[in-house]
Amino acid sequence: MSLVRQTTNGIYNLILGLAVTVKHLFKHAITLQYPKERWTMPERSRGTVVLLSDTETGKLNCTACLMCEKACPVAAITIEREKNPETKKFEPTSFTIDMGICCYCGLCEKACNFSAIKLTGKYEMSIYDKSELIYDMDFLQKLGRDVKYEKRKRVVKKTAVKKATAKPKTTEARAESGDKKAEGTSSTKDDGDVKEKPKNETEEGKE
Amino acid sequence: MFELGGIFEAIGKWLNGFLPPVWVTIISAVITGLAVLGFLSLLALFLVWWERKISAHMQQRYGPMRTGWHGVLQTIADGVKLLQKEDLMPKDADRIVYFWAPIICFGAAFMAYLVVPFGKGIIVQDLNIGILYIIAITTFTVVSLLMAGWASNNKWALLGGMRSAAQIISYEVPLSLAIVGAVMLAQTLSMNGIVSAQAGGFWHWYVFREPLGFLVYYIAATAEANRTPFDIPEAEQELVAGFNIEYSGMKFAMFFLAEFVNMFTVSAIAVTLFFGGWQPLFSFLGFIPSWVWFMGKSLVSVFVLMWFRWTYPRIRVDQLMNFAWKFLLPLAFLNIILVGFGIVVFK
Repeated sequence: MSLVRQTTNGIYNLILGLAVTVKHLFKHAITLQYPKERWTMPERSRGTVVLLSDTETGKLNCTACLMCEKACPVAAITIEREKNPETKKFEPTSFTIDMGICCYCGLCEKACNFSAIKLTGKYEMSIYDKSELIYDMDFLQKLGRDVKYEKRKRVVKKTAVKKATAKPKTTEARAESGDKKAEGTSSTKDDGDVKEKPKNETEEGKE
Repeated sequence: MFELGGIFEAIGKWLNGFLPPVWVTIISAVITGLAVLGFLSLLALFLVWWERKISAHMQQRYGPMRTGWHGVLQTIADGVKLLQKEDLMPKDADRIVYFWAPIICFGAAFMAYLVVPFGKGIIVQDLNIGILYIIAITTFTVVSLLMAGWASNNKWALLGGMRSAAQIISYEVPLSLAIVGAVMLAQTLSMNGIVSAQAGGFWHWYVFREPLGFLVYYIAATAEANRTPFDIPEAEQELVAGFNIEYSGMKFAMFFLAEFVNMFTVSAIAVTLFFGGWQPLFSFLGFIPSWVWFMGKSLVSVFVLMWFRWTYPRIRVDQLMNFAWKFLLPLAFLNIILVGFGIVVFK
């Protein structure tokens, strides 16, 4: 009797197995046809680092403040900068990121005040030689061309106001100079202000 | 109109018009041989692709997708790759046996098509002992597998060859006994005779006269074709690749081709013996060409074999032997007895 039961049970299970496989035969395949299809990466995914450019002028947002270089825990970022004689602002002359040692922590992006550096969802960075993993400025800019981003509002103004309000606390004279500065930035008398600044600092140091 | 049988007859008549009969025989033999060889090669190419697609979709993958539409040309690409490969031979191999094993394997698979009726009038030679001939010729496969396993000078290959010999000889017995049932019903060994005995609607098919015989035949045939769950001669996890482990290039391709041709052979025999061959489902569906019916039924049977493969796990060697001798063999005898009673009672 148990033999009959075993046999019928076995046949039932064989048919059950066939039913399962044929059910899966008509299900949709879940494979992603990789080079043809790609995942849409999440907005905040941390992949390749890129340098962002201004959408209007097309120039890099980077002001070469070196904050990202200092923030980088593995020292993957190397920046060389130069002061532009016309605008008197720093500009990066070379900006290299060694993606071979980058740990994708995203601290450079956090440190940047100018929305100049970002970790994107790009992940296809396979190359044949290790040295090609050191990305230079042009390449990083090229990578960042199609990256959408929201430009961070400048917090620098706020600190400037703070300085202006903080300085009058010490002396009235300095308050005047602070006012002068505020006026000076708008006018063409930039040179005078720059020369004054070190003087003030030296005075502060003496005090 | 779409019957292919007439075309062959017309060619024969046309050749008879201006050539001596000896030449006609030689030319028709060469032409039919090449036609069957070409058909089988194309069929094997298709079946390999089909199996890959079925296995892939049963596992919710896509399978080959790049070469051609949904990868239909993948097998051709693989074949070209195999042709380009170096033909290696193990250092201490038995050179002659090693060389002949794949040829005999493919030859045996190919020779079975001498008596397979593809449609009305499409049969190379309607031997009056057709089914006996098929049983005899397909058994050559076991010789070739044993030769390959022995000559490779490799323990896995030898184990695979031994296992295949044990398995195929064991399953040959219930297979032949299951065929006996159909032969008893048709009163003939000729393949065309068995087909025409099942004419006139699907209720005349022998699968409804002797379902037990069909079951035994189909299980034994799965084992004969070395298909899962009876594929212990080439059990990948135990024997790496079994008897063909040392073969490369074109010789490996011949084994591979023979496996798929064998699968179609057992399906074709199952269709001929139990599903009315090229006979239509109903007689009013006779306007569909007979070879379409035959191919359709055979491919459904091949699909079922592939379905088995991607559903069932491989059974153990001792279970395999127990199953053949203790279960299938008594069932086959029971089938013969039942068929005999049926013939006596209903005739």
